[in-house]
Amino acid sequence: MGGQQPNEATDIPTSDVRRGAAVAPPVVCLVGNPNVGKSSLFNCLTGSAVETAHCAGVTTAATAVCTEWAGTEVEVVDLPGVYGVDVSGGDQEAARRALFEACPDVVVAVVDATNLARNLYLVLQLLDLGYRVVVALNLIDEAKRRGLDIDAAELARRLGVPVVPTVAPRGQGVDELTETVLRVAASANGAGRGPDRDYGEAVGERLDELTVAVMQRLSGRRPAFGLGARAIAMALLEADTAVAAASGLDVTELLRREDDSFALEIARRRHLLARTIAAASSTARQRRGADTWWRITTSSLTGIPILVGVMAAIFVTLFFVGDLLAQALTSAWEAAVSPLLTEAVGALFGEGALGATILWGLDGGVLAILAVGIPYILTFYFILALLEDSGYLNAAAFLTDRLMHHFGLHGRAVIPLIAAGGCNVPAVIATRSLTSMRERTIAAALITLTPCSARTAVILGAVALFAGWQWALFVYGVLIVVGVGAGLALNRILPGQGGPLVMEMFPFRRPVLGQVARKTWRRFREFVWDAAPIILAGSFILGALYETGAIWRFTAVLAPVVEDWLMLPAVAGLTLLFAVLRKELALQLLIAFAAVTVGTHADDLTTFMSTSQIVTYAVVNSIYVPCVATIAVMGRELGWRRTAAVSLGTVMLALVAGGVLARLLPLLGA
Amino acid sequence: MEKLTQSVEEYLEAVFKLTAGGAPLTVGQLAEALGVSPPSVSEMVRRLRAAGLVEEDRGRGIRLTARGRTEGGRLVRRHRLSERFLVDLLEMPWDAVHDEACKLEHALSPEVEARLAAQLGNPRTCPHGRAIPDERGRLAEEPVRPLSDLEAGDVGTITCVSEEQAELLRYLASLGLLPGTEVAVESVAPFGGPVLVRVGEAQYALGREVAGKILVRR
Repeated sequence: MGGQQPNEATDIPTSDVRRGAAVAPPVVCLVGNPNVGKSSLFNCLTGSAVETAHCAGVTTAATAVCTEWAGTEVEVVDLPGVYGVDVSGGDQEAARRALFEACPDVVVAVVDATNLARNLYLVLQLLDLGYRVVVALNLIDEAKRRGLDIDAAELARRLGVPVVPTVAPRGQGVDELTETVLRVAASANGAGRGPDRDYGEAVGERLDELTVAVMQRLSGRRPAFGLGARAIAMALLEADTAVAAASGLDVTELLRREDDSFALEIARRRHLLARTIAAASSTARQRRGADTWWRITTSSLTGIPILVGVMAAIFVTLFFVGDLLAQALTSAWEAAVSPLLTEAVGALFGEGALGATILWGLDGGVLAILAVGIPYILTFYFILALLEDSGYLNAAAFLTDRLMHHFGLHGRAVIPLIAAGGCNVPAVIATRSLTSMRERTIAAALITLTPCSARTAVILGAVALFAGWQWALFVYGVLIVVGVGAGLALNRILPGQGGPLVMEMFPFRRPVLGQVARKTWRRFREFVWDAAPIILAGSFILGALYETGAIWRFTAVLAPVVEDWLMLPAVAGLTLLFAVLRKELALQLLIAFAAVTVGTHADDLTTFMSTSQIVTYAVVNSIYVPCVATIAVMGRELGWRRTAAVSLGTVMLALVAGGVLARLLPLLGA
Repeated sequence: MEKLTQSVEEYLEAVFKLTAGGAPLTVGQLAEALGVSPPSVSEMVRRLRAAGLVEEDRGRGIRLTARGRTEGGRLVRRHRLSERFLVDLLEMPWDAVHDEACKLEHALSPEVEARLAAQLGNPRTCPHGRAIPDERGRLAEEPVRPLSDLEAGDVGTITCVSEEQAELLRYLASLGLLPGTEVAVESVAPFGGPVLVRVGEAQYALGREVAGKILVRR
């Protein structure tokens, strides 16, 4: 099969057909607890793989990649990190569905050797579902360092399935793992299945009874997802009725009322068994001492100053390093690329409206991507990956959880919100670490209300410079009030409520630079892929409006809002429209457009705007609609309906705040 | 009041001990604790219910009625007093007295029980360290507290998770946060923030509202 092309799964819609075909590659699912090095193992296992996007039949919870191991084609499916595959809502349930739908031939259970007891729970659960399992005993180097010896042979004997020790970041044990998986996949006997577990007499009897009942009811039909009768019975006792229903069984007829109590009993027994197996196959040479780092970063006395320091460091890095990089890139582009581009476009399309529009898109659009993407987003992604991999993110979440609760958020939202002060785009992407869509929507809305460095540039360049620093502070005060108000309001308005916080706190680890870099790059590539087309398209449209003169027609349309309600000069309204491209454009354009309408000296805003108007302008610019890049990523992360709602919501907020300020500020003497 | 048969008394005693944490008891758990088959447990539970000693707890299992608690507590008292008697006065080894006490407890009249207690100096615990209920069957209030009340450095054993939401309960169960698990509070976030607990080798941050539903005994 060596030279064969990867099987194009997308051509053949159902997995059954695919599996029936002679060339069907074995499907291998990667399952494990969060933070056990599953991602790096996935990278090792699919290192040279051609990414074939999502293979058919797999939910979005999983990533599937077709690859080759020693000349044999395999499909590797990566599931999200979970503690168990059960019906507890959220990730664990999504992972369960994805696992079922993938119909894996072999499941690779990645376990953390430093916390074997908790990790084995998932392994036992997979075995209970009748899957063929190969255990990848990961992080054995770390276990050794902590004085923990694990007898892989004994573990394999007790589990009844193969166990392969691995050190994923170094690729250690990966070859043996792939060999073992292929051997198990090819074997016709019970390799990788393990014996039936003893969960006590009560569970055992009921399980046997249900298995028989399921078998009788199935009467030769094949159950859903290739599961066995016993697995379906186990699923029923663990409160998952969907599998039985999907297999055409009448669940209400099968289950009795007291079956409710079995789910927790099975969980208890399984943990007990996991602990017993873990204890029997490992020896601790020394007792693990308390993690001093945890003490320091989570106790209020030292933790809060550290948190403030880290947050300040993120902010300062994004704000100053990002700004410096942005300026350097912009001036380099303007010096080296812009003239060439202008000349080339001029030669090809002429100097007219068409040529100028194309220049808006190419020159302005690409510059916008460079000036936002590289300095802010790449930098932030790097910081985020460092914080994630070191484990500090959890400490920050722990300390701020209470505060974030008022907005219906968890502590985890603190990092995106701080990042928003640098740039909204990476902040919106970082909301992925939040669990529910409700949380992510609230977080995204609050992020768009947080002034990013571009908006800060307008506040400083317009307000601080022409109206005085105290008015700049006033603008920030207004923005904080609006943001906090919006958060409190959203928490009340949106249906549902903030879920309870249950979060594992991982021990601190020294981040591996290579992995941090790879993570950063993968995310950055995603950003460029998704946001770039929208930014370019937005630039073209605005360019066309401007070059054809159509933009001036908006003056009349906007007049009631801009002139009557916000009491701003008409030209200011136009610049607000353009600032959707990049918020700092607002000020540059204001000066440029004003030069057309009010003549020279327009670079001094005070010649045509009062203090009240400048402050109102800065507030409106900061609140209304995030820039196109933010809209682009928000659309992908939250869906377009939510994005439209957030965008419209911010426009309304900006209009209300602006209208009120325009009437209030003159009374305050502005 | 009719006299309970010895086997009914044994069951009542077991239910009393197993529901001490406050959680309802299932037939399966009871069968396992007594080492008998679920059908025979079901039969006996039916008899206990008919005698007004236990009742259904919202379909999640059974719990004691007020009368069941009194009767059960008094049985446990007689058992543990008997153990004290065997150890303290007859000087039998404390790990060998359980079975003997099982026989003795059914034979003690209230009169003998009172005199025995006085003779032993009204002990508060049995030789195994477990509390002896008073003559009205009440167990001295066991210090069960919500996990959210504990302070950094405290250690406790989960007795019950009083969560109505089955999904959260199952999620906590998959993490191993189940009755019988020992948890150590490592740190408590300020201003009513989450609680950091250690369970085995793992550490979890639990929001106050979750920690408030986990009851622990120190």
